[in-house]
This record gives sequence, structure tokens and C-alpha cells, in this order.
Amino acid sequence: MLRNYLLTAYKVFMRRKLFTAINMGCIVLTLVVLMVISALLDTAFWPTGVEGKSGRMLQVYLMVSERINDKGQRAGMRNGPLGYKTIARYLKPMKSVERVAAITTTSTVSVYQGDRVSRLDLRRVDADYWKIMDFRLRSGRLPDEEDDRLGRMVAVVNATTAHRLFPDRAAVGERISVAGQAFEIIGVVDDVIHLNAYADIWAPLATFPSTNYRNEVTGDFAALLLARSPADLPRIRAEVERIARTVEPVGNEIFGKTTIMADTKLDIFSRLLLGRTNEADSGADRLLATIAGGMFLFMLLPALNLVNLNMGRIMERSAEIGVRKAFGATSLQLAGQLVVENVLLCLAGGVVGLACAQGALWWLEAAQLIPYLEVHINLKVFGWGMLVAFVFGLLSGVIPAWKMSRLDPVHALKGAA
Amino acid sequence: MIRLDKVSKTYRTDKVETLALKDIDLSVQKGEFVAMMGPSGCGKSTLLNIIGLLDRPTHGGIAVGGIPIKRYADRQLARLRNSTFGFIFQSFHLIPDLRVIDNVELPLLYRSMGGAERRRLAREALQRVGLGARMDHYPNQLSGGQQQRVAIARAIVGNPQVLLADEPTGNLDSKMGAEIMDILLKLNAEGTTIVMVTHDEREAAQVGRIVRLFDGQLVAREAAYAA
Repeated sequence: MLRNYLLTAYKVFMRRKLFTAINMGCIVLTLVVLMVISALLDTAFWPTGVEGKSGRMLQVYLMVSERINDKGQRAGMRNGPLGYKTIARYLKPMKSVERVAAITTTSTVSVYQGDRVSRLDLRRVDADYWKIMDFRLRSGRLPDEEDDRLGRMVAVVNATTAHRLFPDRAAVGERISVAGQAFEIIGVVDDVIHLNAYADIWAPLATFPSTNYRNEVTGDFAALLLARSPADLPRIRAEVERIARTVEPVGNEIFGKTTIMADTKLDIFSRLLLGRTNEADSGADRLLATIAGGMFLFMLLPALNLVNLNMGRIMERSAEIGVRKAFGATSLQLAGQLVVENVLLCLAGGVVGLACAQGALWWLEAAQLIPYLEVHINLKVFGWGMLVAFVFGLLSGVIPAWKMSRLDPVHALKGAA
Repeated sequence: MIRLDKVSKTYRTDKVETLALKDIDLSVQKGEFVAMMGPSGCGKSTLLNIIGLLDRPTHGGIAVGGIPIKRYADRQLARLRNSTFGFIFQSFHLIPDLRVIDNVELPLLYRSMGGAERRRLAREALQRVGLGARMDHYPNQLSGGQQQRVAIARAIVGNPQVLLADEPTGNLDSKMGAEIMDILLKLNAEGTTIVMVTHDEREAAQVGRIVRLFDGQLVAREAAYAA
């Protein structure tokens, strides 16, 4: 029976080439957009690559200090990144975490090498950072506690920077001048784009020109808290919340309440997107619901359009439906046949869509609209893509199929006569 | 074999009510060849559709093999149509996208039967109507007469007890029409019960019994020849 269905489906698709092309085009376009977005989201938020441990990691990028008046209302506020002192004094000693790394946000610096000046992004990190991140080392070594302790002027560069600075020789062992400081390159790692990993050059914290940073409660730092397991994250959040209440006042100002945001990557994205930098709740749940709703609508609209197109296509086949009914097909069998045809078309569209999505991602990588972007359609995304195509087929096929299968045979036969 | 008891059929729209059949009492015995005649619009096709369970009467009852089917659900009717009836339509109603053999296999798709067995039966049915060499053709590659023979093969492939033919020669020239009549007569001689709608008195004269309708009512039952 399936062979007969497949044969009929193939012939119908070939008979109505324009319709099939429109149908497929609609599916392909929708899927390409969904697949590219989901692949980008997957790369950004899913524990993968250099941030493979992000599933059991919290990032502390924000500290909010509020002044509360007598009426319990917010009278003043300061928010921003943490100072190193806050991390070293309050977060590093935490017992519930496996490891805490202190990192700076990236800053653009001028790198002098020979007679050339390059503008590159520098991130200063401590030795724990290299143990939390899973950088792939291409050559040399990564900094360790000894480099931190001795304040060695060493740096790690990514592959693109290494090639850019030293196109004709190995970068490891070479010296570069970064914002007036001389560094020796000790390692070259793969290019990466992830939130906490992105930079062109990495240097130990101890290479700051001054040690003032060690006394700052607020500053330009973030902390990465690595849990022993993802299940520990709520407990770590609660501990950070408790710790925040013990943070010393900043300077001469008196703040009644301090909040330290221990966020997942999605939380951070949500805060930036929704402007919720002062709230304890990042709004990630709402953001996820909005994204899911948006994706559903994005699928629903073409699906409704396809319902209309399918209705027309199936109407043309009312004689066939009448004949099949006359010879014993039940409504359920007919609806099944028509849905199978539609699902097949959508799955075929899904395969083409996946190929196009891969092409779009290659283009995105090659165009370097997002520097160092490396994004793949992995098997999980592929599976979701096919599921999306399947849902598409069901959504756009069930209604017309069921409606047509309910036609009584006499009317179906007359409709074609 | 088939019994209609005071069958009426009314078509209703918002404003108009059309009486297509009125108080039809009719029995078709096993092995009979019945021709239904009458002017256009008199209800012949409606009656044939009701006999074939493609349509339900507004009033009255139908019994197939002595069993009343009034309370049958759609699924049961579909099963009964599949096992008992074969249909031949004036405009053939072959599925243009399928090869001849796939068209003929169609009724067997709705039975629990393996693909090889279906193919064997379809081949045999096509050989019975003289189209054994056209199995892999598509309907549009055949003449009208050949298409109707394919439709007959499709109707008989499931070995139904009753063939219902709605003007089977209506779209064919007289030579092809005669060929189709020969096949139907042969099938009847082999034991298949046939009910046929026709306008052609010469065709009707070849069958066992003629039933005449006028304005939705039976007006005559006559023997065409001594069966």
C-alpha cells in the first residue's frame, strides 16, 4: 500500500511542478531560517566546543548595588561589572563550586609588531580560566598558576592573530608589544567566538600595569563559577545571593542592598536583550517563551498557507478520492494517504532545507559577519529540523486531508466528472 | 442478493427540495443481469449509487445478502463495498498518475493481502479483459475502450459478487461499446450479478431484466430475454 501511496505522491508532485516548487520553496525557506537560527542559538547557548562545560557553569557579569530610602523604595543605584577584589574575597573561597575564574571583559588594544600596528581584542584571565575553558591548543602551552604568581609577561593568541602577526613563522616564542607592554607568546589556540572565550589575545591578570585592580570592589571583571554538576547550580546561586549581602560598601557611598547576578549564558543574553540589568530575574523564561512562540508562528503562517494550497491540490483529486472510497477505502485510510503524501513532501523539503541551511551557515562563516564564527548543523539540530518538517507536513496536511476524506463518494466522483 | 424496501431519496438545499427517488421496491437476485433505463434525471444513477452503498437513502431500507445495512457505520460500509461490489463508471475514473496494473490493484489495497498476491490477481484480471500486454501503460496511453476494460478489470479484481455499471458504454463508440457489453455478458455468464444503467435499448435487450424509472419511481419491470 505504501508503495502505491509513494507512487501516487511522486506522480502528483511531478504533475503539478509549480505547485510542488511553491510548496517546497515555502518549506525550505522557513526551515532555512529556523535551522540557521537554531544552529546559532545552539552554538551560543548549548555546552559545546570551548565552552563545553557551560552546562554546569554560571557567569557573574553584573553586580547591582541599591540605596533604599526610609520608605523601602529604591533611592539610588549602581550597576556594572565586578572588581577583582569582590571575586577574590567573596567568590573564590566558595566551597560549593569546583573552580572560580576571574576574567576581564575584552578591551581593544594596539599591538605593535615590527612596523605594523594591529587593533586586537585582549582579555586578561587567571590560571583557573584555562582549566574551565576547553581551548584546543595548536602549539606551545597555556598559562598556569606559576605564570600568575610570578607575573610573567606571557600571552596566548588565537590562530588568526598568530597568522596575522607572524605570517611566515611560528608565533610561539615571538615577542609582541601590547599597549606598551612586551609579551612573549607562549601558546596558539583555535579561533573561538563564545561569550567567555572570545578574544584575540589572552594574558594573565598579573600582567596589568598596576596592582590597583586588586583593591577594587567594582571594575571590569567577571567571574566564571564552575559547578561540580548542573544540579548544583541552584545551590550556588543561593550561596552567591547570600554572599552578596555581605559585600562591603563601595567607597564612601552607603548602599543598602547588593545583588550579584550569577547567570547562565541565556540569562545574560536575556538581560542584554530585555534590558533587565537591574533585576534579579533575567527574564530568560519569558524570552524562551517568546522565541518558542515566534518560531511556532513563523511555522504556523506558512503552514496555514500550505493548508490552502493543499486544499486546492486535493480538491483536484476528488475523483480519485471518490474512486478509492467506492472501492473500499475508509476516511481514515484516505486521510492517512493524503497526510503521508504531504509529510513526504515536507520531509523532502526538510532535506533540501537542511542543505540550504548548511550553505547559509558556510556563507555566514566565510563572510565573517560574526568574527571567528564556527557553526555546524549537528545531528541534534538535524533531528529537530526533520521533526519541524514533519510537524509542518502534519499541520498543513491533516486539515485538508481529513476534510476531503469525509466527502461522500458520490459527491467526490461528481466533483471530477 | 440485494433488496431495496420503499427507498426514497430527497436532495435538500436551503430553498429547494428535490425528490430523486420515491418508494422504490427492488430485488436483485444472485446471478441476474439487470438493466436500469429511463430518461435523464429520472434517478437511475442515484438508485445505482444507493444499491452500491455510495449514497444513503433518505427513507427506506437496503439489505445486502439478507442483512440490513441501515445502521452500518462508514467504516463498515467501506468494508462491504470492498468485498461485495465492483464499480464501472461512464467516465472510467482511472487514476491518471498510476499505471494500468496499479489502477487495477486499487481495490485490493484495502484488503489484508500481500503485494505479490495483489499483483498476481491484477495481472489475471487484466488478462481476462484482454489487456495483459498493457499493464505498464498509463491510462492516457490507451483508447477509451481499453480504458473501460481497465476499469472492468479493476471492478472484478476483488472477485465481487455484484458489478454496478453506470452507463459503461456511454463514452464509447458502438464497436467499443459492443466489446464492453460482450465482456459484461461473459462475466454474468460466469456468475457475476450485474446491475447496469443504460440508455441503449439494444444493450438492454441483451440482459435478463429491464427496470424502468420515471420521475424517481419504478414504472416497469420486464424480462428482456428468457434468462
